[in-house]
Amino acid sequence: MIPEKKTVEEKKKATILEIDNLHKSYGKFQALQGINLEIYAGEMFGLLGPNGAGKTTLLSIICGLLPASAGEVRFLGKKLFSQFKEYRHQLGIVTQDLAIYPELSATENLRFFGRLYELSGPILEERIKETLSWVGLSETKQQRAGTFSGGMKRRLNLGIAVIHKPKLLLLDEPTTGVDPQSRNHIFERVKELNQQGMTIIYTSHYMEEVQELCTRIGILDRGKLIACDYLPSLLQLLEGSVQFELASDINRVVQRLLTIPELRVTGVDRQTISLSGPDISAVMIQSIRVFREMNVDLHQLRIREPNLERVFLHLTDRTLRD
Amino acid sequence: MRVIWILACKDLQLLLRDTRSTILLLVMPLLFVAVLGVAVGEGFGQKPDDRLRISVVNLDEGLPTPQGETPQRDTPQRDTPQKDKSTSKTNSKTVSTKQKPKKSERYPGRRWSEVVIEDLANTAGIRIEVIQSTAEAEDLIRRGRRAAILVFEKNFSEQMNRCSFLTAAVPPPLNPLYRDGIHVNKLGLTILKDNTQSVAASIIEQVAQVTLLRVVIPWMIGRAFERIGDEEFMKVIGRKIPGYDWLPNAVKKQLGPAVQLGIADLFSNYDFYAKTWAGLTRSEEQNDKSLDNITTFASTEGSGLLKRGAMRYQILVPSYTVMFSFFLVLTVGWLFSSERRNGTLVRLRAAPITKLQILLGKFFPCLIMSLFQGLFLLLCGKIIFGMNWGNQPLWVILVVFSTSVAAMGLAMLVTSIAKTEGQVAIYGTILVLVLGGLSGSMMPRDLMPEEMKKLSFITPHAWALDCYSQLLMNPQPDLVLVTKSCMVLISFGVVFLILSWLLIRFD
Repeated sequence: MIPEKKTVEEKKKATILEIDNLHKSYGKFQALQGINLEIYAGEMFGLLGPNGAGKTTLLSIICGLLPASAGEVRFLGKKLFSQFKEYRHQLGIVTQDLAIYPELSATENLRFFGRLYELSGPILEERIKETLSWVGLSETKQQRAGTFSGGMKRRLNLGIAVIHKPKLLLLDEPTTGVDPQSRNHIFERVKELNQQGMTIIYTSHYMEEVQELCTRIGILDRGKLIACDYLPSLLQLLEGSVQFELASDINRVVQRLLTIPELRVTGVDRQTISLSGPDISAVMIQSIRVFREMNVDLHQLRIREPNLERVFLHLTDRTLRD
Repeated sequence: MRVIWILACKDLQLLLRDTRSTILLLVMPLLFVAVLGVAVGEGFGQKPDDRLRISVVNLDEGLPTPQGETPQRDTPQRDTPQKDKSTSKTNSKTVSTKQKPKKSERYPGRRWSEVVIEDLANTAGIRIEVIQSTAEAEDLIRRGRRAAILVFEKNFSEQMNRCSFLTAAVPPPLNPLYRDGIHVNKLGLTILKDNTQSVAASIIEQVAQVTLLRVVIPWMIGRAFERIGDEEFMKVIGRKIPGYDWLPNAVKKQLGPAVQLGIADLFSNYDFYAKTWAGLTRSEEQNDKSLDNITTFASTEGSGLLKRGAMRYQILVPSYTVMFSFFLVLTVGWLFSSERRNGTLVRLRAAPITKLQILLGKFFPCLIMSLFQGLFLLLCGKIIFGMNWGNQPLWVILVVFSTSVAAMGLAMLVTSIAKTEGQVAIYGTILVLVLGGLSGSMMPRDLMPEEMKKLSFITPHAWALDCYSQLLMNPQPDLVLVTKSCMVLISFGVVFLILSWLLIRFD
């Protein structure tokens, strides 16, 4: 279901991050070309794109790690460079590569980064305790992080990113190379953070992750934001299809179906007929009504609904990327 | 400062857990010093002295003190009243009259051995090494460390005092002269020789002969000349001249001195009253350099398997302390590149801290490590190798600090250029070895040609080594020079640090 559209004023009020006509070039190569994007407070925004699309460059600029060639990024209405320190206090990042000290224990890692964000004393210790429990590392808090499994390291990586309770969390492929249990744990924790009001920008190659977690998704390709909308709207970009296997008299049925404007016949093969339409439910209802009217028995039914992966491949085409 | 402190604490923690670095920093330099300390010889690192070394043992007790006179001084006297001052080339009559010494004065006013040693020390190309005891001298000869050693026996002054051309006198006169020169044993001079170094021993013996001739001959001539015209002399003359006894006493009294002055005038190129070679030959006296050329023997060889206390450690320990403080370039580089490898540099950059804070957060823990390393190595140098910290140990600490600042500045600069651990290893190793060789950390600086010595001052190592050389080798170090060198070292560090801040790229 498409969420209710917000008015311009409401959106402005709720916008936490504004990206305005952002460009980034490396010599002649244009990594980002005129990106315009708004991230709303409290939303979980998915950022998708094939390799080399510019996702990491965009995230680096949002983090303030890279300067933009042109355009600007505003956090809560203010330019990033004008509020360098305040902004970074409100920002948490989970990088694609781990960003932990393997020689330090989980507690020492959390304490070090907590102190960098000006946490200290009992508040810091309480926050460390909470975070360790939250990422499921309480039992192994004194072990050196280098001895952790991949999943444990990923969880610690997430814990470090949120120890200072940022308003905006950037997650860049946070589940790369982890087992299903840890992946599920991270999912749950990310959802929890979002429910608590944290704004999250989530990038991943796993479409099902983004489809499950994110309400709004932007698709980046060749430095351009080629799509950005709520998930149902994106799914509507592709038609669903349904395939019926009938008992007999298929030509007569096809002739009858062709007269219905909401659906299209995409294939006929012996006793199998394929239909598609913008609303797959409507296609099915109409078709089954025709079969009943014509007393045709339905042997088998296969539905193929649009999903994010199909939308992504549809938008970015299927050619291999470097 | 709080952020820098947080970063520094974390890096110190990482460094302490890194056993590889600890071994590199602390154990390796000690191993180098120990191996080289055992391997190199006694003279390692000491400035080569081309002068001929004459070693002496002075047991001379001087002349017996006559009643009512103060004993002769033991130490060499530059300005004894009896010392010959005849440097003028003016009219010989006037000079000789004025210079005629009083007979009551006891020449030379000090031990005769000191006169001989001073003469040796003033001879060009010769330096004197005073050994404290005969036992020590015999040991050096036995071990082949010295080819020959002159031992002035207890009665040397007494024997010298007896030297005379007279046939009979009280005390009995001693004639030390013979065909080959001076009969040294008669004078109370023993020459200890190492038979395995006969050529070198002969050279030393000949040098001793020449010096003794220069001392003994004028002394004997002077004494003989004083006798011309005295009562006893005139009696002998009187026996040879018929009618001498009829001469009036007043004439007789003038005759003796007149003969003396006549001889002096006849041979006016010589001053027969003078009892020194320079005086006798009316040569221009040279500036007395004897004190600069006389040193006291001190064993620099050390003891035990490690040759503990050997002079070489005064050079080896500071050299390797300096060189390995620059090896920290590698450790600091690895520390930085591991931040990149672990991905934590991205997290640090995204944290509310500045580039300068990150840089200083690395600089200070490494500086602390470097200070610890420097002091640890110097302390081990003292405890294990018996190295002497000199008269100004607190200044040594200042040098360690200044060297650490320079080394860590350079480490930051390398870090700002090298991105990966491989690059750190390549750049760091090349830099450390090249600078080490150029500066004289790997070999004694005194062995380097002058041009290279000058060139070496482009490296911070050379300034540090100069400081250590002053503080550890010089009994009276030039503290102004040390201060200047420390300032240069700190300037090196600051410039390197600024450059690294300008060059460093985190992305």
